[in-house]
Amino acid sequence: MEDYPEELRMTPVSLVSIVGCPELHPSISAALSSQQPPMNTLALPDFSKASILARSGKARDPLAPPQAPAGILKKDWLLKHRTRVPAAVAALFRADQVSGDPAQWLQACSDLENLKSAIQGKNTKLVVVLVQAQASDELSEDVTVALRKRAEIDSRHMIVLVEQDETEWSRSLSKLKNVFAELCSAFYKEEGRRIKARIEKRNFSSVELSIRYCFKVAVYAEFRRDWPEALKFYEEGVRVLREMIGTSTRLPPTQRLVEIKAVAEQFHFKISTLLLHAGKVVEAILWFRKHIRSYERVVGTPEVAFLHWEWFSRQFLVFGELIETTAATVPDTLSPRFGTADNALTEWEFQPAYYYQLAATYLREKRYAIECSSSVANLTTEASGIPESVMPSVYVGQYVRLFEQGDTVSVLPLSDTEYTSYALSEAERFQDSYEIIALFRKAYESFQSLGATRMASACSRGMAIEYYAAGDFSNAKQLFDGVAGLYRQEGWTTLLWENLGYLRECSRKLNFPKDFISYSLEMAALPLFSGSGEENRENKIKSGPGGSPTISRRENIQQEVINVLKRKQAPDGTNDEFDNAMEETTHLDIDQISPLRMVLTASVAFHDQSVKPGSPLLISVSLLSHLPSPVVVDQLEVQFNQSDCNFVVHSAQEDSPPLDSNLHDQVVQATSLTLFTNKWMRLTREIKSGQSGKLECLSVKATINKHLVICCHAESPASMEDFPLWKFEDHVETLPTKDNVLAFSGQKLIQVEEPDAQVDLVLNSAGSALVGEIFIVPATILSKGHAVHSGELKINLVDAKGGGLLMSPREAEESESHDVELLGVSTVDGKELKEEVDSIRKIQYSFGVVSVPTLSEGDSWSCKLEIKWHRAKSVMLYVSLGYSLGSTEEEALLRLNVHRSLQIEGQIPLLVTHQLLRPFRREPLLLSEIRSLGGDDKKCSLAMNESNMFIVNARNCTEVPLRLHSMTIEPDDDGKQLCSVQQVSGISNGHAVIAPSEEYKGIFSVNPRASSSNFHLGDICLNWSRDSSLGEDQETHVIMKQRLPEEIKYSLVDSQNFVFSGAHNHAAFILPKSEHIVSHKLVPLGSGSQQLPRITITSVRYSAALTPSTSAATVFVYPSEPKFNLETSCSTSDECVS
Amino acid sequence: MASTACFVIVSKNDIPIYEAEVGSAPKKEDLAHQHQFILHAALDVVQDLAWTTNAMFLRSVDRFSDLVVSVYDSVVHTRFMLLHDPRSDDGIKSFFQEVHELYIKIFLNPLYLPGSRITSSHFDTKVRALARKYL
Repeated sequence: MEDYPEELRMTPVSLVSIVGCPELHPSISAALSSQQPPMNTLALPDFSKASILARSGKARDPLAPPQAPAGILKKDWLLKHRTRVPAAVAALFRADQVSGDPAQWLQACSDLENLKSAIQGKNTKLVVVLVQAQASDELSEDVTVALRKRAEIDSRHMIVLVEQDETEWSRSLSKLKNVFAELCSAFYKEEGRRIKARIEKRNFSSVELSIRYCFKVAVYAEFRRDWPEALKFYEEGVRVLREMIGTSTRLPPTQRLVEIKAVAEQFHFKISTLLLHAGKVVEAILWFRKHIRSYERVVGTPEVAFLHWEWFSRQFLVFGELIETTAATVPDTLSPRFGTADNALTEWEFQPAYYYQLAATYLREKRYAIECSSSVANLTTEASGIPESVMPSVYVGQYVRLFEQGDTVSVLPLSDTEYTSYALSEAERFQDSYEIIALFRKAYESFQSLGATRMASACSRGMAIEYYAAGDFSNAKQLFDGVAGLYRQEGWTTLLWENLGYLRECSRKLNFPKDFISYSLEMAALPLFSGSGEENRENKIKSGPGGSPTISRRENIQQEVINVLKRKQAPDGTNDEFDNAMEETTHLDIDQISPLRMVLTASVAFHDQSVKPGSPLLISVSLLSHLPSPVVVDQLEVQFNQSDCNFVVHSAQEDSPPLDSNLHDQVVQATSLTLFTNKWMRLTREIKSGQSGKLECLSVKATINKHLVICCHAESPASMEDFPLWKFEDHVETLPTKDNVLAFSGQKLIQVEEPDAQVDLVLNSAGSALVGEIFIVPATILSKGHAVHSGELKINLVDAKGGGLLMSPREAEESESHDVELLGVSTVDGKELKEEVDSIRKIQYSFGVVSVPTLSEGDSWSCKLEIKWHRAKSVMLYVSLGYSLGSTEEEALLRLNVHRSLQIEGQIPLLVTHQLLRPFRREPLLLSEIRSLGGDDKKCSLAMNESNMFIVNARNCTEVPLRLHSMTIEPDDDGKQLCSVQQVSGISNGHAVIAPSEEYKGIFSVNPRASSSNFHLGDICLNWSRDSSLGEDQETHVIMKQRLPEEIKYSLVDSQNFVFSGAHNHAAFILPKSEHIVSHKLVPLGSGSQQLPRITITSVRYSAALTPSTSAATVFVYPSEPKFNLETSCSTSDECVS
Repeated sequence: MASTACFVIVSKNDIPIYEAEVGSAPKKEDLAHQHQFILHAALDVVQDLAWTTNAMFLRSVDRFSDLVVSVYDSVVHTRFMLLHDPRSDDGIKSFFQEVHELYIKIFLNPLYLPGSRITSSHFDTKVRALARKYL
């Protein structure tokens, strides 16, 4: 855009001229240019310069017959109207110049005449300005009239400027401005109308003039700021111009086309600017599209195609720049739905980057065209040579030759051939590459910032190709690499192919054999759509150096790599340049994300998941290549993280290779190691597992053609990714191993287990433990083949029901109370491991660590674990022995472990119950107070100073016989004062043996000595032991308030036939399997079969009632003989005993 | 009338799974991969556009000089992209719809792994026939 002349780029501004009074010019012109719309001022200091205004008008002889125009537009026409043809001229006179001296008056009149004659024949308006010092300096009426007459102007166009007074000055100045504006408008309107009339009347001799007139009318409209009209005539001009292409014969065809395009460019530029400045972005873009469409195919002859492309590219560039400069005014109200009926534009068309990118693309076309033209031109134009002193003519888009003959300089038209060679020589001087790269870069950055990575990479590729063409291979390679990344990721293989082709050539040119090999291999391994690009072989330039993507080309590329490796001279001799850069062997590293994965993939699977150290294990190594031709592998080296396991497979065809005896690799000969395309090559080997721990296959190194080593990272079949590019609908998925299970779950690493421990740990237990006793679990360590060094025994007690801890968390906070407690560990010989002071020994409630002395093979050692149960609970006892085989450092690292566990139940040994036997009740009736107390069944009343029997039962709940040593009641302080307790029957001969589920009864007599509503009798103490082993005291806290065995209540209902004595309601306690007799004395009132009073018995605990049947309660009363009848009724048995 | 058209099916992860030059124009200057460059670059626009509308037929989304890219958003973000000369939408829409049906048939094949390349010659023949019919 900067190449365009300024007058074209700027909106036309009205031009006025002021003559005379030069001291006022700066302020007047400043005032005019600050006006809206502004006016430019052509300031002439005195009237002698007025002839400037007349000069241009004299050029044409009005009498000469109209000639055919030599061109469409004159270059300087616009400039002329902007700078030299004023719309109005103001003649400035000082008041004293016209009012005083007659000589001065005459001078003024002649000046005015000169000026008038200068603008004669034009429509330029005249204004006369009188400058006064003061507003009060009133000029005489006749002077002004005379002056006006002289100037032949309207009185409105006679203006008085007042110099001194500020307000007057500005007022008169604004008046001048208004007059100027009005005159300018009239002038341009008139000029426009004049020319428009010619168009309308078709009053022109040639189509060139028609276009010229359109241009002029439009420009005049622009002067008036009549944009719609300007647009209309510009568009009309373009239309006529487009039609002219086929019809005009004025110039030779090439130059004609050049001229037309140059004019079209100006028209188009004007239209675009107008539309964009009016904010009509959409219209502007649509117009641009139309413009491009109408000139796209007007290439001209092939020799000058470059001119077309240069011009075409410039259209895009300029439009892009226009869009960019008006970017701020792009309306946001545009429909976001691109490509629909209401918005036919695409999103990118609003972005300057889009146009830059296209400009670059077409500029590249120009470069190609120049290359073609140059080669042709070199042959043909050498003789004629390039014409000298060619210069642009006065017409837009025309060139002429300056011809000097002596002093006279004449202008000669050019022939097409001359012009072509001139244009070619001019075009060749420019470095288009840099221009193209700059454009692409601009577009790239813009797209990148818009987040359009694909567009950006397309631009990036454009840059790269330019760099490549310009011979800057390192830059090209860098850019191509970036672009290839995207295509790889998205799998556009055809594009990737082309890219890699360039990259390959770049590395060849840069002498990077390693890159060359890797790019070539990647290309060779690319999947291709069958048939695509088959028919495009002829265009080598456009398909890039990689050639067209075909299977045969892939095979060629693979062969080329092999040739390079073999240092063989290729038939076309292109490979010799690597000779100095080639290393002895080329190493390629392929990991899981490398694009070369397609070239070679190694999948390694162990057949087992874990293995014992030193034992043999099977491993499957599978290789897959997508290269089109079979690959012969000379040597395959499989490497593990434990280097002892590495092994090498040699191909049998290979001459026996020199073996490095230092390597402890296992060397295997295989018959043939050839990889066929898309087929897994599977090898299964047996190797010896190394040390315990992880054994992982790291990589598989394949040596191909002796000089290429491809190191593939090993992949597990289970976690192997497929090849996104090689996924074909009809492509049968092949598995790396024959075994399906292995193919889906095989891993490249294996766990080598610890060696088996050859030490036995024995835990013995004598059944279940009893609460209260110290339970002993003997643990024996028996070495059966390993010496035990720095052994350590860990003991852990865990709740068998789960939960781990042996107490609830709340209890743990309070501590102290543990259900099961590890008391200690003692060795068999009784000494407490005193000799090992430094050994670890730590016992905590449920956890203990004890160190084990060094044991040699065959020795044994045992200890006893002392555990005490506080509550009946089932507990898991875990004992683990950790030891190392020796005392040296590396041996100490490897620790072996033996684990044993044992579940031990905790049981309550004796269940203690008790009961009281009281003497018979003496009173026939009970006090109601006692009866109510009887409701509280936790208490029981004893008669004072009477001997009450107290029976304590101890029942053995275990499976082992227990020995009871003593059973006593230990009264507390309260009890001692209040009552005396005596043992009635004791334990004879030292102890009593209680067999499982048997019971022992101790009988005591209790004699209360004071009356008290509430007192403790004392605690029952049992001293017991296992029948065979020693036990310890067990205390049971017994409180007399405990529940009584069984309570019944009974009630008697009165009968009309009997009178009876005794309580109606009463309660009694009945021991199980015992009888309780209730006696009542009855006196019958009548004879015969009589109903006895009904008795109802209720068990308090179970609320169960018993009523004897009517027949059982019926008695026959004889009339007189027996005096009275004593009946014993109701033998109650215990109703329901659980 | 000689026309240029390049048809590509792009899978969910932007990998082309089918491509065909279906135009009748002599392929002298317009090479397959240049068409692909245009189509590939148009993916940027398609990505944004696909989320703004429920319509499957996205019409023309991009243009490269006189070539227009039309897009049809098929099942699971498989996109049909057609590079063609400017023309009316109707034929293109019908073409897309019929190809969509063909694609659905391929897609319903239990042995077809979504995202893998379509190499069926039957499909290819049908697509080319449709192109002749509508384009």
